[in-house]
Amino acid sequence: MITLPNECYYEIFNNLQHNYKTLFSCALVNREWCRFIIPILWSEPRRYFSDTRLIRICLLTLNAEEQAFLIPFKISLPSYSKPLFEYTSYITSVSEFLFEGIKNWLRYNKYSRGLGNVVKHSLITMFLRTGKNLKYLYIDETICSPIILEYFYKNSTVNTVDFVPSYDINDDFKSKAIDGLNENIIGST
Amino acid sequence: MDNGTSNSASENETITLKSCDGIEFHIDARIANRYTLLNNWNGGESACIPNVNGKVLEKVLEWCEHHINDPQLNCGDDDSRRRNTIIEEWDENFLSCDQDMLFEIILAANYLEIKPLLDLGCKTVANMMKSKSPEEIRSAFNIDNDYTPEEEEQFRKENEWAEDY
Repeated sequence: MITLPNECYYEIFNNLQHNYKTLFSCALVNREWCRFIIPILWSEPRRYFSDTRLIRICLLTLNAEEQAFLIPFKISLPSYSKPLFEYTSYITSVSEFLFEGIKNWLRYNKYSRGLGNVVKHSLITMFLRTGKNLKYLYIDETICSPIILEYFYKNSTVNTVDFVPSYDINDDFKSKAIDGLNENIIGST
Repeated sequence: MDNGTSNSASENETITLKSCDGIEFHIDARIANRYTLLNNWNGGESACIPNVNGKVLEKVLEWCEHHINDPQLNCGDDDSRRRNTIIEEWDENFLSCDQDMLFEIILAANYLEIKPLLDLGCKTVANMMKSKSPEEIRSAFNIDNDYTPEEEEQFRKENEWAEDY
């Protein structure tokens, strides 16, 4: 095969952006292609955030602090070796399907809303910490955590947030969340 | 309508281009102006195109000639063009050449900054990969696998969510 310049490879693989199966095959062709493809494959997992296999890889990226939130709740984290790439740094958009994925993954740990919220808290903190390309975030009242707000403040890439609080959250809590969001988004621009 | 040929070249004007191996082509001046093929023209009788041989330049010019009246796309259309992998019949036939020629055309289009032809070539290659297994892609493009079995296994495990979609 004739060697092409890098920009041509990006052009070729960008045509396959949401064709996850083909991107998966291409990434397995050789190491060079893999490096081109991983950022494209992981840029928008969209509804596949609901897949527990993807959630498992995201959980492997939690740092000690993010894992520590989960210890009191006796949530057993996956125990694979360190991932080959920091996959989450390529994610540009965290969709509402993340919540579904957490629920699905927690079935193994007996899901409850409380457990769901702590896992959500750790994962969103991690997305904000590692997300060098993160632009869109779907979030609920978890945003009220001081740690998440702090990472929000540090992150300079997120430009769109869908704040969708749970139906039973009271108005005081909602306005607190919106205030925090406003302050941090305006503060970072 | 502005078809992108807003320069002074008229329909009958021709320009001589010379490939890197010395083959001359007499082309409609509008093509040369539209695709900045004259970057290396020093005002002599013909403009040289370094790095592109006669066989490839002939194909590239055939494509340019066929598409001479296409409207020019804005840079902002990048995403919509990329997501649409449908290729017109004429272009599909045009690129049904051997694989080496297809890659030579992509290289030349990239070098000569003929963006629509570059997109078309890249789309064609992308379409050739669709729904194929890694082994099938390696054999179609004659590529060696340089993963260790352990790495390959780990990669599969970490990305298996994508395999089913």
